[in-house]
This record gives sequence, C-alpha cells and structure tokens, in this order.
Amino acid sequence: MYFENFQALMHMDGHGVYVWSAVAVTVVALLWLVIAPLVKQRGLLKEISRDIQREQDRQLAANNIPDSVNSKESA
Amino acid sequence: MTWLSNGSPSWQWFHRLGSPRWFYHRSGRWLPWLSLAALLVLLSGLVWGLAYAPEDAKQGNSFRIIYIHVPAAFLAQSGYFIMAIAGAIGLIWKMKISYMVMKSAAPIGAVLTFIALFTGAVWGKPTWGAYWVWDARITSMLILLFLYAGVIALQYAYHSVDAASKASAILALVGTVNIPIINKSVDWWYTLHQPATIKLTSAPSMHMDMFQPLLVMIVGFYLFYAVALILHTRSEILRRERKTSWVRELVNTKAGQ
Repeated sequence: MYFENFQALMHMDGHGVYVWSAVAVTVVALLWLVIAPLVKQRGLLKEISRDIQREQDRQLAANNIPDSVNSKESA
Repeated sequence: MTWLSNGSPSWQWFHRLGSPRWFYHRSGRWLPWLSLAALLVLLSGLVWGLAYAPEDAKQGNSFRIIYIHVPAAFLAQSGYFIMAIAGAIGLIWKMKISYMVMKSAAPIGAVLTFIALFTGAVWGKPTWGAYWVWDARITSMLILLFLYAGVIALQYAYHSVDAASKASAILALVGTVNIPIINKSVDWWYTLHQPATIKLTSAPSMHMDMFQPLLVMIVGFYLFYAVALILHTRSEILRRERKTSWVRELVNTKAGQ
C-alpha cells in the first residue's frame, strides 16, 4: 500500500475529506442506479400478477352467470 | 416491416434484437455475469487507485478523485451517444426496443454527469481553491446534464408514448452537438481545467503507475453502464409489454415457482 497505515489512508495528508466524500457520493449514486430499476421491476411484476388474478376472477364470475355475454375486453 | 422478417438471414439478428421478449430473456442470462464482472473490476480499480497508486507531485492525494471523475465523465459522454443512436434507430427503423433503450439511458447518463460535476467540484476546492468556475468545460458538462434532464422530461410531457419517444429522440440527436464542444473545450478556451489525460493519438500524460488503475476504472464504469442500462431497459420492457401474452406467461411461471 502507498500509505503507512489505515489512518493515513483515511487522512491522505488533509485531502481525505475531499477524496472520500467524492467516493461516498459516487457509490451512493451508482447503487441507486442499480436498485431503482430493480424496485420498479418488482412492483411491476406484482401489479401484473394482480391484473391477471383480477381478470381470472372476473372470468369465473362471468361463467357462473348463464346469460352473461362471454366476451372479455382483454386480449 | 415484412421486408425484415422475410429478408435474408443476415437480417435475422437485427430483427431478434429488436424483439423486447428476446432481449428480456437473453439479458436475464447475461446479467449475473456482467454484474459480477463490473463489481470486481470497479472494486479492484478503486482499491488500486486510492490505496496503491503513488500520489501526484503537484496535487498531492486529491488527484485520486481522477479515478472516479474521469470514468464518470467518459461514460456520461459515451452514454449520450448511446442514447442518441438508440433514438435515431427508433426514428429510422421504428424498432420498439430502441426507444426503450433511449429512455433508459437518460437517467443513467444524468446521474453519471452529476457524478462528474460533483467530484470535479470537490476536486476543484483543494486544487483551484474554488468548487465551481464558469469555464467552458464545466459549463458544457452542465449543459449535458440539462440535455439529459430534457430527454427525461419529454418522456412525461406527452400522453402518447410514440410522440414522447420521437420528441426525445430528436432532442437527443440535436444535443450531440454538445459532445465535441465538451471534448474540445479545454483546447478552444482558456481554462483552469487540465487538458485530457488520455488521448488516442499519443501516450498518456501521466505516469504508468497512475494510469493503469485509471484504465481499470474506465473498463469498470463501462461494465457498470451495461448492467445499469440492461436493468432499466428490462423494467421498461415489462412496463410497456405488460398486456402481452409472453409477459403474462412470465409472471405466471414466476408465481408458480
């Protein structure tokens, strides 16, 4: 290692504040870029599965009423 | 589009690549490996640059910010080209997925531009004595951030997805004018900003021991960019294709597991 010990690595002769704050902000920003789409995707998958469930329920209900028109708006 | 599907086999890859379903399945297989590679390369480059590279004779240790500043600025510009080219492909060939890629590239590029500006400001304080100066390089990077923000805003400004995509693509294409301005700004105008460290035509202006970790970080940022773009595109695919049978099948098999 270029520095003598861990403290020297943190301090960097007084420049540690700048270097490490730049690193910290970058790490947070990059993590957000990865986590945000994953969270969005999870929400979407849940929503879509709820949609499917709702359509199946509606279909079942429609089948139980004999005179109902059996056409569904969804493809 | 029949000429695409009925044409010669050489068009097949192009046709398949344009299929959101194909992309979703294929990219799902690439993702774990790409993510692992990005993580390993970024970590090793960062440790190498921050803890093992020698310090700069003039700037001291603050120069170590270069290991995130330059790769982020690099990808902010490459990412802009990727976004503009995706927009152009969407306009010309009406390929569904290219507009999704364009939309996905905008927030990633904006965050990378923000990182470049932020780390540059933090680096400027100990080096120039100021967080911010209105010089050509920094101002043109700020314009890049606004261009990304414009593309993001246009996505939500229209009710029709198609109109939003077209408007965004045109803004992205017009904005490419800014990229050579960013590149040449350190040569054309007087500036505090140091000239480019890496040039294709000549040897790097820095010592090899400092330069090697920088190259590793640039490769790492490229890998990270690929991972982020794929992740954003996949969630956009799910959003736009939610009514299709293949997405329904996908959700059903996932629920069955």
